Amino acid sequence: MAKKVLNVEDDADTRTFVSTVLEENGYLPIMAMDGEEGMKKVKKERPDLIILDILMPRESGIKMYHELKLDPNLKDIPVAMLSGVSKRTFLRSQAALTEFGDETVPEPQAYLEKPVEPEDLAETVKKILG
Amino acid sequence: MSKLLIIDDEEGIRKVLTLSLASDGYDVSAAAGGEEGIEIFKKESPSIILTDIKMPGMDGVETLKKIKGLNPDAEVIMITGHGDMDLAIEALKLDASDFLNKPIKDEALSVALKRATQRIAIKQKLKAYTDDLERMVSIATEEVKRRAEFQNKLITSSNDAVIATDEKGDIIIYNKGSERIFGYPRSEIIRKMNIDRLYPQEIVSEFRSGLEMRGHVDLSTWREVEILTKNGEAVPTRFSGSILYAEDEVVGCVGFFQDLREIKRLQKELITSERLAATGQTVAGLAHYIKNILNGLKGGTYVLNVALDKSNTDKIKSGWAMIERNVGRISDLVLDLLAYSKERKPEKENCFPNEIIKEVCALMESRTRGNNVEIKIDLDPLLGAVFIDPKAIHRSLLNLVSNAIDACIFDSASKKSWQVTITSAIEKNHIIKFEVADNGMGMDEETKEKIFSSLFSTKGERGTGLGLLVTEKTIKENGGMIHVASKKGNGTTFNIYLPYQETEKKEAGNTQ
Repeated sequence: MAKKVLNVEDDADTRTFVSTVLEENGYLPIMAMDGEEGMKKVKKERPDLIILDILMPRESGIKMYHELKLDPNLKDIPVAMLSGVSKRTFLRSQAALTEFGDETVPEPQAYLEKPVEPEDLAETVKKILG
Repeated sequence: MSKLLIIDDEEGIRKVLTLSLASDGYDVSAAAGGEEGIEIFKKESPSIILTDIKMPGMDGVETLKKIKGLNPDAEVIMITGHGDMDLAIEALKLDASDFLNKPIKDEALSVALKRATQRIAIKQKLKAYTDDLERMVSIATEEVKRRAEFQNKLITSSNDAVIATDEKGDIIIYNKGSERIFGYPRSEIIRKMNIDRLYPQEIVSEFRSGLEMRGHVDLSTWREVEILTKNGEAVPTRFSGSILYAEDEVVGCVGFFQDLREIKRLQKELITSERLAATGQTVAGLAHYIKNILNGLKGGTYVLNVALDKSNTDKIKSGWAMIERNVGRISDLVLDLLAYSKERKPEKENCFPNEIIKEVCALMESRTRGNNVEIKIDLDPLLGAVFIDPKAIHRSLLNLVSNAIDACIFDSASKKSWQVTITSAIEKNHIIKFEVADNGMGMDEETKEKIFSSLFSTKGERGTGLGLLVTEKTIKENGGMIHVASKKGNGTTFNIYLPYQETEKKEAGNTQ
């Protein structure tokens, strides 16, 4: 059975693009439009990989990533960030959350900066899911 | 006391005259003949001489000649006898002052002496006047010379070119500044060149009509003129000139030229550096935005290719939609850029502002749906058809409402009931007020200050920062005002005030 990949992304264009790449490479894409919806889908669908955007309305990728990694039931689901925000900025934001008293969280399995070529995205997914 | 000399060969006359004149108060000397008379004249320098015309040896005419030779101012009175007419005439020619006929009458003598004394006095006065006049002329000459030199120095030392001509237009003054600006040395100009060759055509014709008195010419206002140097270089100058008159006659013309090369260079540098800075800022922001659009297009192409390979109609549609959306974003961007960079004249027509608000809401519906944002409208029923620029209203409101929706969607507060309210109202003095209010994320002071001032965006890669700049520009072009009030976490309210005119056929009332 095809592995499930959840894409949390507010931009319709990127969602279409990511789902097409996933389908092309034999994965089953699941879509969520923001962090709130994303968390619901994670719990319901138990995806094998989450591809997560950062700048989204309502619950942002920064907050959702933190939530995922602090939930003992979800923390082992691999996460690949796909964002226009640079990796450095993202890591700094995670560190900032830690300073506010949260636990330290590990770095994501992969970090892709937008724009991403279909081949690079496919390769990253393959590397994580085997 | 006046000195007086009597020359006569008759002793009787000498004695009588000496006595009589001495008693009248003269200092009298006497001589018996011309030679003796001359000797005494040399020694005593009398101012009045009475001499007999007929004498043995040197006669009166000869004596007169000698005395006048010694002192042209001496007053010589000739004593004549009967039949001396020819001699008397000759004496007159030789500048004798007067005649006394023998026998000498006291009355005639005193009249003759009185006249002689007056003439001497007049001569002295005249001399004093002349001397005074000469002194004054020399002082004046000195002053004129000093002033001329001073003016000459002014002209010479001027940094600007000062060039003057005679009435024919031939150059007679050409200072160092002129050499510097025009490049010709003085030696090639003075009396060798006229303004027709040196000046640009546009001012030559004006100078010429001034010199030839063809109508009124005013060259006095400073203006920019490009001159050609000896080497053919075009030099920008600031020019002013004047036709020179003496009385009513044209005597020449003068031109002043200030070198503008350095100023122009600095101006150019300043403009270039300002433009570079502005362009750099703009380009950096826009490049990022355009890159995003490009990625959307690339993604769309990828999706479309995959879909075509598999003849998957649904996917073809979604790939095509991606391309269309991004083409739309490009065309919006280009329109915004054009609106921002170009002056747009308001295109006023009869229209219904309330209808425009409804159109804007309809366009925004797809964005609010699914995002938990509600759009409310509160329209003034008294606002009917007015004469105003509908495109300006449409564009501005679309931008503000779109921003308001973004402020709600990106509000990090959880579970709020987000609202965007659009209000129209007729105000006093032919002003329409539009209000777009949201209860979204709001802005802090720092952000609020930046929104109209530069290509500033709070939306990261989603925004260009052009929207509010264009909106403000549009409102100002239409003679209106835009205000913003905002509080972080509470929401933002924009107010637009636009002047309107009544329509010709008034269609008052509700337009719904």
